[in-house]
Amino acid sequence: MVGLSVGEKHFIKGGIEQDLRTDGRKRYTYRPIYVETGVIPQANGSARVKLGATDVIASVKAELGKPSPSYPDKGKVLINVDCSPTAEPAFEGRGGEELSSELSVALQRCLLGGKSGAGAGIDLSSLSIVEGKICWDLYIEGLVVSSDGNLLDALGAAVKAALSNTALPKVQVASAASDEQPEVDLSDEEFLQFDTSGIPAIITLTKVGKHYIVDGTSEEESQMSSAVSVSVNKQGRICGLTKRGGAGLNPSVILDMISVSKHLSEQLINKLDSEIAAAEACEEDEF
Amino acid sequence: MEYVNPEGLRLDGRRPLEMRQLRAEIGVVARADGSAVFEMGNTKVIAAIYGPREVQNKSQQINDQAVVRCEYSMANFSTGDRMRKPKHDRRSTEISLVIRQTMEACILTHLMPRSQIDIFVQVLQADGGTRSACINAATLALADAGIPMRDLVTSCAAGYLNTTPLLDLNYVEDSAGGPDVTVGILPKLDKVTLLQMDAKLPLDTFETVMQLAIEGCKAVANYIREILLENTKQLEFRRGV
Repeated sequence: MVGLSVGEKHFIKGGIEQDLRTDGRKRYTYRPIYVETGVIPQANGSARVKLGATDVIASVKAELGKPSPSYPDKGKVLINVDCSPTAEPAFEGRGGEELSSELSVALQRCLLGGKSGAGAGIDLSSLSIVEGKICWDLYIEGLVVSSDGNLLDALGAAVKAALSNTALPKVQVASAASDEQPEVDLSDEEFLQFDTSGIPAIITLTKVGKHYIVDGTSEEESQMSSAVSVSVNKQGRICGLTKRGGAGLNPSVILDMISVSKHLSEQLINKLDSEIAAAEACEEDEF
Repeated sequence: MEYVNPEGLRLDGRRPLEMRQLRAEIGVVARADGSAVFEMGNTKVIAAIYGPREVQNKSQQINDQAVVRCEYSMANFSTGDRMRKPKHDRRSTEISLVIRQTMEACILTHLMPRSQIDIFVQVLQADGGTRSACINAATLALADAGIPMRDLVTSCAAGYLNTTPLLDLNYVEDSAGGPDVTVGILPKLDKVTLLQMDAKLPLDTFETVMQLAIEGCKAVANYIREILLENTKQLEFRRGV
């Protein structure tokens, strides 16, 4: 990315102060969101989300595995994000690793609960097949194809859409002796749709000067002093929180940012749900 | 296993000399100087070009021509089995080198001294022929970026199974253990820039298979020219010409 001149920086900051950003949006307006599901046919579920010029793909692969001994009645979910060098030349080689790890951990924090899986957006007990022996392992992979700011929100939306698109094959368990590994038969015909009503959406508020904006472009984000990412679910409950950026924030400011995110989350979740439903309908039409 | 059944149809219903369906789109990565998506059947690849720009690593700078760099990476979900932890495994490094050498031969590097051109290729879906799809995508992306080239570079692969030469192998046919000949050509100049083969073939059969691959490359070149023409018409339209 070419550096910004002093004049451009003033323009961006001034616009945000006057509630009129460079592309004409208000501070709390999102760019148009475009969702496409089923983009990766060999995965169990997948989605592509475009937020302006930011383009991310998420895929969900499910495999049979053994549950962890400390949580025998829960399945496992692993989230991993990769930043492709096509998005930014700086991501070449190992350059994108730092950002990839940051995004992976932030997503895990927002979507999965604590160690026991309590409070997770994804219900881990629904992934268990035979307690203590067999469970579903979900591998959620995110790929950043094009980056123009607000990667975390886009990835959160893509994961939500991919999970809505995920169909787990129905499993028939042949009964077996108690200490043997039971045989499982994966149905090719019947599939279970994943329940995604509990999955939160992630809202990132970027503080530039005295004001916060939502869905910043990479130019706006380069001027940020700090950013707070909040994940809120449909019931209005906060599922995760991350603060990034060097500047310190007054606690009252953080609380204000959280309440703004909660307010914005309703619109975002409704928009996402309708976009995902439209995308799924589109996909069905193709068949 | 029967790769060509008695009626002459392959596993996916194609005839031996039939290519998979091609689909391409230009300008998919907004922030790149040039980008393209290229699909050959189920193989889907994105290429993005950043450049010509200032050389990042001064020690690599060449005073009379541009430095061309390339990185090939596969997405974790691109293959049937899930995980591909090593991003920089030997296969990726080799393919990066192959793409770089092929594109470097056709870019007019002496027109852009002391600069750097980055070619990044990302495989979204891998179903055989990723090398060829990457080269084709890179050609389109370079054209989108307006980088001067001697000619288009197009690539296609061919093999030989059940005593039949087959054009454009998919993953199953590729893993059958038969020979896989990948060819890259400059169509207008009629020159071969890339030629790779594994397994073994008698010499006259090799000539047949290589000719078949070259025919495939020419078909890809025609498709690419159509796409570029369509794109130029769109640009003219937007300019109000």
